[in-house]
Amino acid sequence: MSYKMPMGPYHPALEEPYKLDMICEGETVQDAKLHIGFNFRGIEHLAETRNYIQVVALMERVCGICSNIHTLTLCQAMEQLTGLTPPPRALYIRVVMAELERLHSHVLWAGIAAKLMGFKTMFMECFAIREKVMDVLQAISGNRVNYSMNRIGGVNRDIADPLAVLGMVEQLEREMVSTIIPIFTTSTTARSRCAGIGVLTHEKAVSCGVVGPTARASGVPQDLRRAAPYAAYSELEFKTPVEEAGDVRARLLVRALEIMETCGILRQALAKMPSGPIDTGEAKVVFSAGTAVSRVEAPRGEVMYSVSWKENSRNPARVHVRTPTFANMPAIRYMVMGARLADTPLIQASIDPCYSCTDR
Amino acid sequence: MNIVESVPGAIENAAQNLDVESDWVQKGGVYWFTSQQMDVRELATAMNAIHARFVTITATELPGNDGFRLEYLWDLGGKLLGFTFHISGNSIDSIYDLCEAVDWIEREVHEGFAIDFAGREYEPLLLRPGDKLGVNLREVAK
Repeated sequence: MSYKMPMGPYHPALEEPYKLDMICEGETVQDAKLHIGFNFRGIEHLAETRNYIQVVALMERVCGICSNIHTLTLCQAMEQLTGLTPPPRALYIRVVMAELERLHSHVLWAGIAAKLMGFKTMFMECFAIREKVMDVLQAISGNRVNYSMNRIGGVNRDIADPLAVLGMVEQLEREMVSTIIPIFTTSTTARSRCAGIGVLTHEKAVSCGVVGPTARASGVPQDLRRAAPYAAYSELEFKTPVEEAGDVRARLLVRALEIMETCGILRQALAKMPSGPIDTGEAKVVFSAGTAVSRVEAPRGEVMYSVSWKENSRNPARVHVRTPTFANMPAIRYMVMGARLADTPLIQASIDPCYSCTDR
Repeated sequence: MNIVESVPGAIENAAQNLDVESDWVQKGGVYWFTSQQMDVRELATAMNAIHARFVTITATELPGNDGFRLEYLWDLGGKLLGFTFHISGNSIDSIYDLCEAVDWIEREVHEGFAIDFAGREYEPLLLRPGDKLGVNLREVAK
């Protein structure tokens, strides 16, 4: 006899509210339906009521983990409409902030995954390191969550001493190499809890249009930093880790390897950072009417902003945000089908979902 | 050199698969396809044929009673391909049966603008409780 087992909207396994209704036979999940909208704030509508300065601050609040990515994508779109090109130093600072945010996001996710594996010691290790990543972000921006770094035509704050930040990053890298990376890639606990569960096949990943580490763990080698480079990524060398298995362990491995690549990108960007101004110095910006689209590779995958402007307007006519979790979440249904009920909290967490982003 | 010659070969292939006379215009980070002869389902079939990845649909309500503009975006090897449809009423064919990735965004546009994607069934509203459509982004409801 089948029965329905709801998980959420408020549940110990969920970091934010959403609902997964699972149809089970015994302990096996046969099918599932997802319900979102518990964090809906109408941000796209609110954006139409804000001017070009206010809208940057507003969109930074779409997500608490990747707040910088949202303003970066928005500013890149608005720069297309204004014809402004940020100076080289600003582009490098944008890379540093984006990669520190990726580090922060991946380590945070690793902690949550460890908790859901029942690996509480690892959870504490991850969150201790995450605090140190946030210390670096605070040292640069003065803030720990909403960094307010991006503006149209550049960034708001300089990195006065890149080599000092480089020292902090190298210390972080040493700690991660000695703890998170070996444990997640070789420990029996992580392997036994993650291998072979929550499989998303390559075909289904392509069909669902999933993005980011979720796609790369199913053998889809997409990464906008390579395919459509923005900021200063075209001047930096890095690899895009791809795994083929499509299970939770593959998503774990992809993120662990990405942490190492991110540290490499940070080292290069901080060492090569050019001197010069950090913005265009324009006191007033003029928008041309039309639509501009910008995409970046956020920690969870591709973020897309479509921004439309009317002639002589201070406010956008339309801001549409397509977040990575919005693309990835429908695939959870296929990941949990056939899974044991007890594995579903870890499976749904393995896409690193952000429901605030999804709902907007 | 025209636009088609100036963009990568993959985009030329996309034009050939659509099998209509057209031009591509690169603007605002997107290669826009500017044919008026397009059918959204033919478009989805052509995008599947060249293995383009669906990205999203951006819906915008036009001033007055001019209907809506729907911008369908696909990714092809890092290039963003854009296709614009103007609908005077409130209905357009669904491509859900051709492109699974479109499911949630069709539901969201349906909910936010009360646009009907013909030929598909809807589950309960995606973002808001209740049964009212068009209350988020459609002008009449603001």
